[in-house]
Amino acid sequence: MNALLRHKYATTAIIWALLLTVPAWLPVFGGYTALAGRVLVFGLAAMSFNLLLGFTGIMSFGHAAYFGLGAYGCGLFLKYVSASTPLAMLAGTLLGGIAGTLFGLLLVRRRGVYFAMVTIAFGQVCFYIAYKWDDFTGGYDGLRGFARAALDFGAFKIDIANNSTAFYFFILAVFGGAAVLQALLLKSPFGRSMLAIRENERRARFLGLPIEKHIWLSFSISCFFTALAGSLYALLNNFADPLGLNYIMSGNIVMITVMGGMRAFWGPLIGAVLFVALQDYVSSMTTNWMFFVGLTFVCVVLFFPRGLMGMFQKGART
Amino acid sequence: MVANIGSILSGRRSLLKGAAVVGGLQVASPFIIKARGETPVKLGMVDPITGSLSALAVTEVEGAKWTVEQINKTGGILGRPVELLIEDSANDTGTGVQKTHKLIERDNVDAIIGDVNSGIAYAMMGVTKEKGILHIVPGGHTDPITGTDCAWNTFRTCNTTAMDTSAITGELVKRFGKKWFFITPDYAYGKTLQSNFVKKLQALGGEFQGDMLPIATSDFSATLIKAKAYKPDVLLNNMGGSAQINCMKQFLQFGMGKEMALGGALFEIESVRSVPKEAQAGWWCMEWYWNTPGVPAVKTFVDAISPVIGKKPTARHWMAYVSIHAVRLAAEKAKSLKGIDMARALADLELPPEVSLMPGKIRYRAGDHQLMSNIHIGQMHPSEGDPDNLFTIAATVTGEEAAGSVESTGCKMVYPA
Repeated sequence: MNALLRHKYATTAIIWALLLTVPAWLPVFGGYTALAGRVLVFGLAAMSFNLLLGFTGIMSFGHAAYFGLGAYGCGLFLKYVSASTPLAMLAGTLLGGIAGTLFGLLLVRRRGVYFAMVTIAFGQVCFYIAYKWDDFTGGYDGLRGFARAALDFGAFKIDIANNSTAFYFFILAVFGGAAVLQALLLKSPFGRSMLAIRENERRARFLGLPIEKHIWLSFSISCFFTALAGSLYALLNNFADPLGLNYIMSGNIVMITVMGGMRAFWGPLIGAVLFVALQDYVSSMTTNWMFFVGLTFVCVVLFFPRGLMGMFQKGART
Repeated sequence: MVANIGSILSGRRSLLKGAAVVGGLQVASPFIIKARGETPVKLGMVDPITGSLSALAVTEVEGAKWTVEQINKTGGILGRPVELLIEDSANDTGTGVQKTHKLIERDNVDAIIGDVNSGIAYAMMGVTKEKGILHIVPGGHTDPITGTDCAWNTFRTCNTTAMDTSAITGELVKRFGKKWFFITPDYAYGKTLQSNFVKKLQALGGEFQGDMLPIATSDFSATLIKAKAYKPDVLLNNMGGSAQINCMKQFLQFGMGKEMALGGALFEIESVRSVPKEAQAGWWCMEWYWNTPGVPAVKTFVDAISPVIGKKPTARHWMAYVSIHAVRLAAEKAKSLKGIDMARALADLELPPEVSLMPGKIRYRAGDHQLMSNIHIGQMHPSEGDPDNLFTIAATVTGEEAAGSVESTGCKMVYPA
């Protein structure tokens, strides 16, 4: 096993050890389990977005659309169809994922700023539908009147509705499953072709890779995972908010990814830790907290261009 | 080995890592300190200190801080000092909910107060009810909070939109006419407000047009052109905070002040202070006013708080003052800080005049937990004599009269077994 691989495994082991022991150590630092849940949700959204940005080299400014659709799909299912948490998550994931897949067909031939602009436009379309369809979505006030339900396994139940620690571990399990799937995807031949497209699209095309199809697939997979994060967000808050579909949320997802490190698998999770902690802690100290979030982002971009995780990666040393 | 350590210490990357760790400790350390001691009674306040409603929220926070100071000077709550923990919801529902979780789960607050934004207050109710914490909404007006979605743990200090519209509609029709144009924010508060206005107006045989606009709208030109073309008797500006101020300024720039009367449910003093003198006009509801004649307790309150805040208190100071005293009174009557005990104690509890700062029997009605406070109807004008003398009371409607019956609100209050 070479040093790089050892470093990788050690990083993964440390991250999992920290995540699994959150309820034990977070309160010592003034945290609370809902905050850790929020970190995981934003971390998953950013890691999913990073499949596109960090590993395929395509920039989307509208990923909040799929995040928000995931949240609304989950909330609407719980409110109008059935009080089943897993089915609601499936509904949210399918809604956001399928919307992204269909929309992806329209934009695979766009590149750069055009791609980014079209993704913003689609995000805003989703935002205004949620905002205006008051009777169904709750409009600007968001969708309320639903709550996550306990997981019923027949012989036993897990009360994620009232037990915040149980709910944290539920989010962690979903996050873990998604992270494993993403890691396997990146290790697969398809994952390698994503990297090839990122490094040199023209060369990849000359090698015979179906570029458009691969970008579409990457976009689609990224949207499914982002929608899964969105459905968890709805369960975390017990409501879905139209601002979750807004371009500001898309900007936050980009910011989290860049701060954490878009070339590192765990980078976006580290970015989520920093972003959520800054938002939560600094806003308790000063009303100018957004200044500090912005300043941190600028500092990271200037001094750690590969993000915080990139700084700790041996491979990142140039 | 020594060389290795030297190279590690001297590396730029190591220096940055060290800086990051030290920086992180700076952020982390205050929270360890915060966790000490559980003796004070903790009140958590969530308000949009940043965002388009910040002027109103800042005043509420100012009122809350002053009230807590006063309570601490007179023995606190149940003999314990009171600690006020303030969180910024940033006028964003998700952040508001997150901060409510934070105050309850991390800080173990005994009661929650907030939010100015009705939509956020509404969403916060989900968390406070789930956690069984007493929740006082000082200034979120949308009806369902104490109407169709009322909850055993939630009490509201400010009026409902139905109360405000019921109090002022007749006055506006009587003085100016029945053809109205609405400019309304497109969220819970605005929608219930306009729908209540429309109900009352149509009952009086009136007609209307209007626009629903995003809560943080800054350009009203298209809507004002539409209003000008409609030639209404009254333009109802239902926007709030900075949006209402921008709307008033543009209303003046369009020269519409001479063509139609201006009015609405609320034009709060915080907003009135921010508009040009010409826009300090119109007929409005005032939920509490510092210059209320015939109530000695008001003068005592105004004399005590004014030197501290450097101006006369507004309705938002009053809302925070009443809300925090309501927690105190509930805790003292229940001799407990449990949400359920305090909620039962506060229902129908008549507030003493030095707390209600109003004439009459003021109470949080048991049927819907809505404060039955009086509503002043009057005219806004540029300052006369005192720089804060911006409003003249023309009539006062009692809360009971404006609110109607509990049944009409749609609230079915259910306490946990």
